[in-house]
Amino acid sequence: MLNKFYTEMKSSLEAAYQQKPRAAIRVTIQLASTFVEAYRADKNVVWTSFYSFPMELLAAFDVTPFDFEIAANLLPTFSADAAVEIMNRAEEVGYSTDICSYHRLAAGCDMLGYMPRADLLLSSSYFCDGKAKTNKTLADRCGKEAITLDIPNKISRESVDYVAGQLRRIAGRIESISGQKLDLERLRECIRVSNRARRAYEQLADLQKVSPFPYIGVPVINMSIFGNMLAGKEIQEQIYLEIVEESRKKIMEGRLTPEKYRVLWLAWFPVQPTVIRQIFRKNGVTIVMGELARNYGGRMDESLPFESLALWCLKNPYVGTIEQRLKGINEIIDEYNLDGVVHFSTDACRHSCAAQKLIGDVMKERNIPYLVLDGDMSDKRKYSPERTEMLLENFIGIMAGRK
Amino acid sequence: MSDSKAKMGYFCSLVPTEIIAAAGYEPVWVKGKAEMTAAADARMYPNMCPYIKSLFTDAAEAGGSAFDGLVFARSCDGVRRLYDVWQAYIPSKFTYMLEVPKNADDLAVTYFAAQLRDFASQMGKASGREVTVPTLRKAIKDANAARSKMRELYNRQSASPLPMAGSELFMQGLAILHGDGAKGITATRKKPVAEGAAAGSRKKTRVMVCGNVMSRPDIFQMIEGSGADVPVADVCTGLRFFERIVDEKGDDPFLSLAEAYLGVPRCSRTAAPAETYARIRDNVNRYDVNGVVLTALKFCDQQLYDIPYLLKKLNDDGIPVLFVENDYVFKDKDRIRTRVEAFVEMLES
Repeated sequence: MLNKFYTEMKSSLEAAYQQKPRAAIRVTIQLASTFVEAYRADKNVVWTSFYSFPMELLAAFDVTPFDFEIAANLLPTFSADAAVEIMNRAEEVGYSTDICSYHRLAAGCDMLGYMPRADLLLSSSYFCDGKAKTNKTLADRCGKEAITLDIPNKISRESVDYVAGQLRRIAGRIESISGQKLDLERLRECIRVSNRARRAYEQLADLQKVSPFPYIGVPVINMSIFGNMLAGKEIQEQIYLEIVEESRKKIMEGRLTPEKYRVLWLAWFPVQPTVIRQIFRKNGVTIVMGELARNYGGRMDESLPFESLALWCLKNPYVGTIEQRLKGINEIIDEYNLDGVVHFSTDACRHSCAAQKLIGDVMKERNIPYLVLDGDMSDKRKYSPERTEMLLENFIGIMAGRK
Repeated sequence: MSDSKAKMGYFCSLVPTEIIAAAGYEPVWVKGKAEMTAAADARMYPNMCPYIKSLFTDAAEAGGSAFDGLVFARSCDGVRRLYDVWQAYIPSKFTYMLEVPKNADDLAVTYFAAQLRDFASQMGKASGREVTVPTLRKAIKDANAARSKMRELYNRQSASPLPMAGSELFMQGLAILHGDGAKGITATRKKPVAEGAAAGSRKKTRVMVCGNVMSRPDIFQMIEGSGADVPVADVCTGLRFFERIVDEKGDDPFLSLAEAYLGVPRCSRTAAPAETYARIRDNVNRYDVNGVVLTALKFCDQQLYDIPYLLKKLNDDGIPVLFVENDYVFKDKDRIRTRVEAFVEMLES
């Protein structure tokens, strides 16, 4: 089912791209193509997490990455009801509805045989416990090895060495499933390519500071989640440069949507259809940045490839104590001239939601309107359009009162 | 440190209490008492583990931590975030976040040993009593001795009739964890084998309790009240805590601690579900168990994600199982009791 879904998605996106060649469409074509490729018998398929694994390492091999969370959770975008039916299957065998819908949906898809074959399953200990747990369970079901890349709480010489050591071992495991020796020079090149893409992305991040905002906020957030799938590949830089170009052109031609309020979006953006975008459009609200949608990792040193990739993981805002996350949020606020901050609180996302009050206190100190918007990423049973509308309208009212 | 009985609290059984003891503190596993957790709901997210919310509420309502210091651990998302809100809202004399790897291979052990050295250094600074190799070795020996006594009692629980009621054994273990070690061990010494509550009775149905953090005997009492025995509680605050023995003769005591604490027995935080199941299966045989009560704290992802796998495996192997989510304080005792009674009745029939 997923294979068919992504094959059709790829075809329709390619047709759309022919009509209207936009970089955002190209990113999604890449995503769909990668997922379709994962179903091919001749490919070595490595399940992983695009947004929390240093994908440059996989790019150094001829393997096909597959992200079980993202693959399953694009379904609700098109049919929230079908997603609920699949989640029901997982719940019937004991998955609690208190568990993240992302993982219930992935587990359901796996139980129904929708997922492609896995040769190796890689996950990481951040962002959440649930992702690595699901990885282990799915690995057991398909009789393959699951590896958790363990990312400590703090950056130190020891923690960098520890993570780098794990990455070396993971490279060894990829060698054994792919039959391909790691070419260190190729890995270094992947890191160089990734650095170039990050520089391109920084240009976009700078353009996002312009008001009215020249791009669309939700794709910015999405790109920070699945755009990392392309890390280490030339196409990532090309796509980012295309977006920069498109944005500059819009600015030059004055084709910018009027903007009343600029908000920072924290945590995740729901994949199921919601009224959020519609309300934002109606009220001139733009999401100018997501907390993960910035180059938090900085430039990587290709001469120390494993250590650099380790450091990239360790610098993630969700690693460590809340200070690292707050630092990133505060920096965005300083740079992006914001009118408000929205924390999307998906039902079971304990690692992001547990600090929402604390973040709220910091926003209060900074005198920035802050909204905790509860809902769910994928489960329509835990989403209320009426409540979402009420919360957003009130929040917009608060921002309006301060103009 | 002026008070030699200063208490250092910790929340997770992955914290090596030996280091705390070597620094001159009394290690105390912190039990959450609050049943209503409004203070935590206000500062944290309501859908968090009730143990964590209970801990936070106790401290918030008391206006600060009752301990001389607290050791947090990177054990789960919940404790990581508890550390964040604790730092922000709870006045505390000393806090430390211990880095505990999620893996258990040699890389993780080496890294953990290095973290334990830092932990020991910080503990020593806080107490004013440096943790030296000899003091640490002594603490390891003492902890091993205390654990061995409890382990011996657990070993005897494979006998039938059951030497000691499961609820009683569990509470004795808790006394040790709560820093009342002398009381716990004295009690165990006074309790000869086959003098327990169930001694001499006919062979009863035997139910094993498996889960994570528990600090109340409710579930044991429910099972026992239904006429069955609980030979063993494979929970963080039960058998798993006392099964961990640290190598006393290793060249580097920090490495020995790291190996022991990342080694078996492992909870579902570190173990893959297959390893967790293998352990359940072993204990079913070892303690001649007729059925298993799997219990998990509500919102405990580490445990909840394993439940479907464990239920299927137990069912496939024909081992009767009852899954009960609990809210740590067993507010819904009556509902759980009904299910437990029905389960025991089913086992007996």
